[in-house]
Amino acid sequence: MPGIAIGGRYAAPQVAGGVLIAACLVLFPLVASSYQLSTLIVSMVFLLPAIGLNLILGYTGMLSLAQMGFFGVGGYTSALIAMHFGTPFWLNFVAACLVPALLAAPLAIPALRLRHTSFVMCTIAFVFIIESVSKNWVGLTRGDMGLSSVPRPRIGLWSDGFIVHTTVQYYYLGLLLCALAVAALVAIVRSPAGRYMIAIREDEILAASVGGRTWHYRLAAFVLSAAFAGAGGSYYVHYVTVISPTVFDPSYTNTVLVVVLGGGVGTIAGPILGSVVFVALSEALRIAPELRMVVYGLVLTTSVFAFPKGLIAPLTSALRGAVQPKARGPHDR
Amino acid sequence: MTGANAPYGSLSWRGASLAAKEINAAGGVLGHKIELVRGDSQCTPVEGVLGLQRMISSDHIQFVLGDICSSATLAYEPIVENAKVLLINAASSDPTITYKAGVGGYKWTFRNYPTDEQRAGIVLKYASEQRHLHKIAILSVDNDYGRGAIALSKKFFQRYGITVVSEDYFQASTTEFLPELNKIKSSGAQAILMYGYAASSRLVARQMLESGLAGKIALIGNGDFTNPQTIKAAPSVLNGAIEAAAWSPDYDSARSKSFVHDYEAAYGGEVPQVHAFTHWETINLLAAAIRKAGSVDPAAVKQALAGISFDGATGVVKFDNHDQADLPMILYQVENGKPVIKGVFRTAVVYPKP
Amino acid sequence: MLQNLFTDGLVIGSVYALVSVGMTVILGVLGQINFAHGEYYMAGAFAAWWAIDRLGLSYMASIPLTILIVGILSLAIGYAVMQRLVDVSFDAGIIATLGVSLLLQNTATLIFGGTYQIFDGGWLEPMRVFGEDIAQQRVLIFLVTLVVFGALEWLVRKSTFGKQMRAVSQNVECCHVLGVDVRRVVLITFILGTTLAALSGVMTAPITINIYGAMGEAITLKSFAVIVMGGMGSIGGTLVAGWVLGIMESLVAAYVGLQFRDAVAFALLVMVLMWRPSGFFSTKARY
Repeated sequence: MPGIAIGGRYAAPQVAGGVLIAACLVLFPLVASSYQLSTLIVSMVFLLPAIGLNLILGYTGMLSLAQMGFFGVGGYTSALIAMHFGTPFWLNFVAACLVPALLAAPLAIPALRLRHTSFVMCTIAFVFIIESVSKNWVGLTRGDMGLSSVPRPRIGLWSDGFIVHTTVQYYYLGLLLCALAVAALVAIVRSPAGRYMIAIREDEILAASVGGRTWHYRLAAFVLSAAFAGAGGSYYVHYVTVISPTVFDPSYTNTVLVVVLGGGVGTIAGPILGSVVFVALSEALRIAPELRMVVYGLVLTTSVFAFPKGLIAPLTSALRGAVQPKARGPHDR
Repeated sequence: MTGANAPYGSLSWRGASLAAKEINAAGGVLGHKIELVRGDSQCTPVEGVLGLQRMISSDHIQFVLGDICSSATLAYEPIVENAKVLLINAASSDPTITYKAGVGGYKWTFRNYPTDEQRAGIVLKYASEQRHLHKIAILSVDNDYGRGAIALSKKFFQRYGITVVSEDYFQASTTEFLPELNKIKSSGAQAILMYGYAASSRLVARQMLESGLAGKIALIGNGDFTNPQTIKAAPSVLNGAIEAAAWSPDYDSARSKSFVHDYEAAYGGEVPQVHAFTHWETINLLAAAIRKAGSVDPAAVKQALAGISFDGATGVVKFDNHDQADLPMILYQVENGKPVIKGVFRTAVVYPKP
Repeated sequence: MLQNLFTDGLVIGSVYALVSVGMTVILGVLGQINFAHGEYYMAGAFAAWWAIDRLGLSYMASIPLTILIVGILSLAIGYAVMQRLVDVSFDAGIIATLGVSLLLQNTATLIFGGTYQIFDGGWLEPMRVFGEDIAQQRVLIFLVTLVVFGALEWLVRKSTFGKQMRAVSQNVECCHVLGVDVRRVVLITFILGTTLAALSGVMTAPITINIYGAMGEAITLKSFAVIVMGGMGSIGGTLVAGWVLGIMESLVAAYVGLQFRDAVAFALLVMVLMWRPSGFFSTKARY
C-alpha cells in the first residue's frame, strides 16, 4: 500500500518497494489460507480509524481518544441505512464517513478550545456519551441487544449488483478501502493545508504568526479523522454483520493507539505496519487474551521512551541507511 | 469445538471434554474418535467470528458448540450457514437465535438450551400464582441479556396481573445500589425482578440487608440466587428468592445423578454447574445424532438431529421446526439458606409471525 | 429518603475524593495525568484480599500490609516510568500511563484469574447515625477521608516536603537551580498518591465485595471528573468535588434512573470543561 504514496519527494527505490509490497498484498490470497486473510481483514478494520488518529495526532499533535466513538457511529449509520433502505455498499460507506464527520464538527467547537489533558478527557467523554445514546435510544439502535443480520456489502450502482460474501472478496474490498484511505491521507498531508497542520504540531504560536487561523485546521483534522473512523466502522459492520454498544469498549481504543504509536505516528507507512504487526501479535496470543493486553501495555509504555518513532523508524533506516526526516512523533520536544 | 468465555467457558469445556473422553473410551462414534478444539470468543462477535473462521479453515471442524454469549452466537449463524458446519448451541438464551433458525431462515443452527422467554414466563407464573407477588420493581443488568430478559418478561405482565413500580438497569461494574433500594423500599414493591450475574446479586443482596429490606422484598428472576456464595452474602435476603434454571446438580434423574458422580470423580470433587452439564449433554446428543445418521457428514447429521428423540437427563430432547429443543426448566426457591426445587415446567416458544 | 440519598452520596463521594486526591497531587507535581490511577485502587483491594484470604490475616492487619505492598509496587513503577515523565509532553505521559494501566490490570487477571474474588472482611453491622441505619464501614470511610484530607492540607501547606512539592509544581527549571531534587519529589508524591488510592481500595472492598482486575477502570474515569471539578491540583476542591459527584450520582440514580448513574461523571466533566475549565476551586487555570 505505500506504493500509493508516489510523489515527487519519494526516491526510486521507495517507489519500487511500495509497488512490490502492493503487488504482494494483491497477490496474497493466492497463497494464504482464509484464516490468514481474515486476520488481515481485522488489521484493515483497525487501520482505517488508525489512519484518522494518525492524521490528528501525528500531523496536528492532538491526542483524541474519540476515534472508536466515531467508528461506532459510522458502523451504526452504515448498518441502519442498509437494513432500512437496502442501499448499495458505496452509499452506506459514504454515509458512514459523512455522519461521524457531521457529528464531530459541533463536538469539536467546544472541545478544540481545550488543550492538552482537558482535550483528551473531553474526547473520552464523547465516546461515553455516544455509547450512552446507543444504549438508550432503543427505538433506533435496539439498545444493548444491538443490530444483527446486517446485510453483506452489495457492490452495485443502485439496485442490483454483486454481494461480497467470501473471505477473499472481503479482503479485496478492505484492500481497496485502505488504499483509498491511504491515498486520501497522503493527499491531505501533502496539500498546503496539511503542511500547515504539521506546522501547528511543531509550533502552534509560530504557525499562527505566519498567517491563517490554526483553529480552522485543527477543526478540519478532527472532522476528517472522524470520517476515517466512520469508514472503518462501515467496513467492520458489513463484515461481522452485527453491532452493539460493546463496540465502544476501551480495549478497541487501546488497540488503535497501539497500532498508531507502535507502528510509527506521523508517518504514512507506520500505522500500516503497526496494524499488521499488532493484529498478528494478538492472533499469536489468542490463547491468552490477558497476556495480549499485557503486551499491548508494554508496547505503549516503552514506545514513549524506547521507540517514540515506532517500529517503522528502524525499518526505514535499515532499508535506506538514513532516518526519514518526516518520521517525527509529537513526543519529541 | 467450543467458544469459551471465562469462567463459564472453562466449565463448559470441562463438561464437553468429559463427554468426549467417555465416548472415546467406549470406542468412539461409528469408529471415529471425538476430537475437541477450542477457540476463545471473549464474548464478543468480532473475536468469536475470527476464532470460528480459523477453526473452520485451519482445524477443519465439522461441528461447533457455542457460544456462551448470545451476541456471538448470532454472529456465527450466517458463518456456519456459508461453511456448512453444524452449530449446536448449548448456552445462549436470546430467543432471536432460534427465531431465525429452522423455518426462520438459518438451516445449520440448532439450540439445546431453553430461551430467556421460557425462563421469564416460568418465573413470573410461579411468582404471581404461588407467591402472590404482583407489585414488582425491575432491577436488571444493562446489557443484551438483562434488557432482553426484561423485554421478554413484559410479554407476561398482563397475563399474570403484574404491575411495575420502577425500572432500572445497572452496569456489571456498578457497586452502589443503595439509592435504588431506598426508592424501591418506599415504593411498596413486593419483589425485585432481576436478571444479572452472581457478582451483582451478591452486592444487591448485601445492600438490601444494609437498607433493611431482608424478608420484606423477594428477589426473583435469574442471577445465581441459588449459588451458595450468593446466599452466604446475605442469607436472610435470599430466603424466598425464585430462580429458574435449565439444570442443577440435585436434579433427580438417574442420568443426571450419574453425570454428577462422573464429573466429580473426573475433576477432583468439583460440583458441576449448569454450563458443564449442557455441554456434556450436547456432545452426547451430537454423538447420538451421528449414530442415527450413520455418517459423520455434517449434512446427514443435521438431518438426523432435526428428527431425533434423545433420552436426556431432563427428559426427551426433540427439536421444533425452528431447531429449538423443547426443554423443561426447573424452578427453585431458596428456603432456609438452601435452594429447593418447586417444580419442573415446560413452555412452548411462541414465534413471532414473519 | 432524601437524607438516605445524601448520606450514601457523601460516603461514595468520599471514596472518589480519596482516589482522586492522589491523582490531583501527581498532576500538580508532575504535570501528567495518571491514567493508571484506578489500578492502584484495584491493587489495594487485591492485596488486602490476598492477605485475608491467603495469609489468613485480619482485615485490620491487612490494611498496613496493603499500603506496604502497593508502596513497593509504585516505587518500582515510579522509578521505571513516572520519574521519566518529568520531561516528556503530556500526550506521551498519557500513553505511558495508559500502558501501565493495561499492564497492571491484565497482570492481576493473569495471576488471580478472570473470575471475581470475593472480599470477606470489614465491619458491616449497621449503626445508628442521626436516626438512620448505616453500615459501620461506611461511617469509617467518611471519617478516614476527613483525617486524610486534614493531614494532606497540613503536609502541603506546612511541611518542608510540601514546600518542595509546591515549588516543583510551579517551576521545574527553578528547582534544578535551587537544588531541589525534582525526581525525588516526583517519586515520593507518586507513592503518596497511589497509596491513597490503595487505601481507598481496602476501605471500599468490604462494600464492593467483588474484586477483579478491571475494577479500577471506572474509578479512573470518575476521578477525571472529580479533579477537573476540583480545579486540578486543589486538595480541598477535590474533597468537595468528590462529594458533589457522589451526591449527584445518588440523586440521579434514584430519581432519573440507575442506567444514567455513570453518565453523571461524564456530564459534569463535559459541562465543567465547557464553562469553567479551571474548575470550581482554582484561582488560576491549569491545563
